[in-house]
Amino acid sequence: MNDRDKTRYDRQMRIDGFGEEGQKKLKSSKALIAGAGGLGSPVSIYLAVAGMGSLRIVDNDEVELSNLNRQILYREKDINQRKAKTAEKNLKKYNRDIEIESIDEEITNESIREIVKGCDVIVDCMDNYPTRYLLNEVSIEKEIPLFHAAVHGMEGQATTIIPGETPCLKCIVPNPPPKETFPVLGATPGLLACIQVHEVIKYLVGMGVSLKNKLLITEKGAEFETLEISKSPECEICGSK
Amino acid sequence: MGVRVKLFAGFRELLGYKETEFSVKSVRELLEKLSSENEKMEKKLFKDSEKLEINNSVNIIVNGRRIELLDGIETELEDGDTVAIFPPIAGG
Repeated sequence: MNDRDKTRYDRQMRIDGFGEEGQKKLKSSKALIAGAGGLGSPVSIYLAVAGMGSLRIVDNDEVELSNLNRQILYREKDINQRKAKTAEKNLKKYNRDIEIESIDEEITNESIREIVKGCDVIVDCMDNYPTRYLLNEVSIEKEIPLFHAAVHGMEGQATTIIPGETPCLKCIVPNPPPKETFPVLGATPGLLACIQVHEVIKYLVGMGVSLKNKLLITEKGAEFETLEISKSPECEICGSK
Repeated sequence: MGVRVKLFAGFRELLGYKETEFSVKSVRELLEKLSSENEKMEKKLFKDSEKLEINNSVNIIVNGRRIELLDGIETELEDGDTVAIFPPIAGG
């Protein structure tokens, strides 16, 4: 670790259980950020400034005016630009010492395995369940932890899926809710994204994770409740793992 | 001690409480009890007035397990069980 890193990450390395060792682990890790929207914006910013060694951001949309109430990676001048490339460009301004890679591609059954290749963690920042289920399947198949969150209005949920140890997303949400233009306050994905980042960093640094076998439900940003959740032996995705 | 019921989001707002206890023997009995408290609750929980099927917009977890992976609406309940009812959310 060079002097610049030591100064830059000094305040987080002072956290009990973090230290230089934790920072080195973070530096040698790669995260897949699936979706560069309301969740993906703060997730990628906080992972970048924390010194996560490598970020791979996947999104195949363009920045729209209606995104700007929550997708804090983008500015007004970014409207009509491709999200993935713009995210990469804007994130580099936060931290030029890390590797940032963008993929402007849809996550499909055909592309997913190539997209996750080499990643240590997957952060679920999607806005729909069909794609979340693909992330879930590949997480179980390749044994890569999946950090899930979803939002609606001012409500949110989050859980950490460790293949073989916890229920998978299909155990928790077996039937997808219908696709909709969901209501959302920008601060709500902000809140849930910060919870995802805490989980990712604790996992990589080796501080343990808190949302293993638990579904956190947040209500209007003021009430937090965790429900115990169990692996379903009958689950079609993780049942036999 | 009965069956502990935890409600979230719209379910909580409709009935005006977060948590309660009922003496019920199945998920069906519990949902009928909740429906009887508020007409809007019945519409939110069930697909039709026959109360045969649960709406897709209802997540029900009994002691940490989704009822779809247990016996669905016929899942039996015992005193001491915890049931959580919340809407699915997909945004990101």
